[in-house]
Amino acid sequence: MDGACLELAGKIPADSSPVAGADEPALIRRAQGGDRTAFDVLVRRYDREVLRLALKVVGSPEEATDLYQEAFLKVYRSLSRFRFESAFSTWLYRVVMNVCLDHLRRQKSRNEVQPPESEAGEPEFFHTVADDRPGLNPEQALRAKEIQHRIGRALEGLSPRERLVFELKHYQGMRLRAIGDLCGTSEETAKNCLFRATQKLRFALADLV
Amino acid sequence: MNCNDFNENLPLLMYDELPVEERAACEAHVAACSHCHSLLEESSRLQTLLKGRTSPEPAPDLLVRCRQALDEALDREEMGWGAALREWLPRLGIIRPAGAVAALSLVVLGFGLGWTLRPRAGNLVPGVEKDLSPVSTMGLGDARISGISQVSPDPKTGGVRITLNAERRMTLEGSLDDDNVRKVLVYALKSYDNPGIRVDTLEALRASGNNPSVQPELLYTLRNDPNLGVRLEALKAVRRMNWNPEVRQALLDVVHQPKANQGLRGAVVDELVKHAVKDKDEVALSALEQLAANDPNDYVRLKSLRALVALGADNN
Repeated sequence: MDGACLELAGKIPADSSPVAGADEPALIRRAQGGDRTAFDVLVRRYDREVLRLALKVVGSPEEATDLYQEAFLKVYRSLSRFRFESAFSTWLYRVVMNVCLDHLRRQKSRNEVQPPESEAGEPEFFHTVADDRPGLNPEQALRAKEIQHRIGRALEGLSPRERLVFELKHYQGMRLRAIGDLCGTSEETAKNCLFRATQKLRFALADLV
Repeated sequence: MNCNDFNENLPLLMYDELPVEERAACEAHVAACSHCHSLLEESSRLQTLLKGRTSPEPAPDLLVRCRQALDEALDREEMGWGAALREWLPRLGIIRPAGAVAALSLVVLGFGLGWTLRPRAGNLVPGVEKDLSPVSTMGLGDARISGISQVSPDPKTGGVRITLNAERRMTLEGSLDDDNVRKVLVYALKSYDNPGIRVDTLEALRASGNNPSVQPELLYTLRNDPNLGVRLEALKAVRRMNWNPEVRQALLDVVHQPKANQGLRGAVVDELVKHAVKDKDEVALSALEQLAANDPNDYVRLKSLRALVALGADNN
């Protein structure tokens, strides 16, 4: 499972400063002792990937910024409790997953009260991912936008846990065992979540495939 | 394996999570069952469709903004009592303190820190034989202390070592030929939240638009800045640049953003017209023709059309 987490972390370019060159356990110990510079280096090792994941989960840059901050503040506050029993990346992503899950749950309960559409009639997600590539002609762009809209709606129809498991499996390519670990659940539960998520998506997008 | 088993294993098969023998059983079943074969094909199409979902990539300035916001939040965190409690209570063996114990610790800690930090003579760093200087002469001057990460009293010497973050207002003066001055301005342009400062920065950088380290940032601002005024200011800087494919591409990118402000797109059309005439740029001309034929915005389409008509009249 650590392998999968390290795979995520591995995409981040290494910082070249001397502190950044320090090995991770040393950095963590320094950060646990109150060394902000060491903590900053740890943040910079993982934050690009954390932001990318948050953006995928919530769509809007503003909300992703909130998740980013909430996750790293939680890491900062609880770093003293990290006992080196798992890889730091695993522990960090578990915190991030919990923050994302909480956010999706809050979002879900909000959406039950109010419709997910914005005033313009489109979910907020699509304002942030408008397909304005110059190469697309207007018809193609419109069609692409419609498909994006449908996929977004279908993903919104998943439960928070299904959504997260699907996101990590389909878009991040993680193994189910690692996903189970990150989400604090078993591989079997992750498998069931993936099954339910794909069934729901198949049903919701049947006319497009 | 029957159809039910296959259906249950389908997601695992698609995501390569099946053990070899179960995978082989699935494949054997699919080869013999047309229903499950079409199910597999449908799932494969669904996967392709979902893979095509546009994923918003974090813009570089978003990461910068996140880091700045986190930094400020951590500063506040370090200045707060919560941090002091978190730091000291575990050392005292108190992991989940009751409210009363926490309150008592807070009071004790407050007295302790107040006592430790009281003004008095002594050595700043153990072993350094000099009088304790007031903070203002320690090089802090009028700096703002944004966070204290460590306070280590030394009972033997009575001294104390303080690790802190301090911010000081600085005024830099220099020519735009100075690489450091340009770096600060580029940083302000990309990272600073206040659009007024970004506009002022653009004004300062306008004359350096052909500098290879500045030009990409100005073009980035023209393409992506969230503030219209800043983008218009960036266009002013772009107007002074030497015409080259990167500049042209930036203008084309902006004019093809259907959600961009029509006034900005119209101003970019003017710029393309200028270079279509002055530099006989065929790409700019062809872009204008496309805009005149297809652009969904009436203003941009008619403006492009009028420009082409005028160009045709001039050529005749």
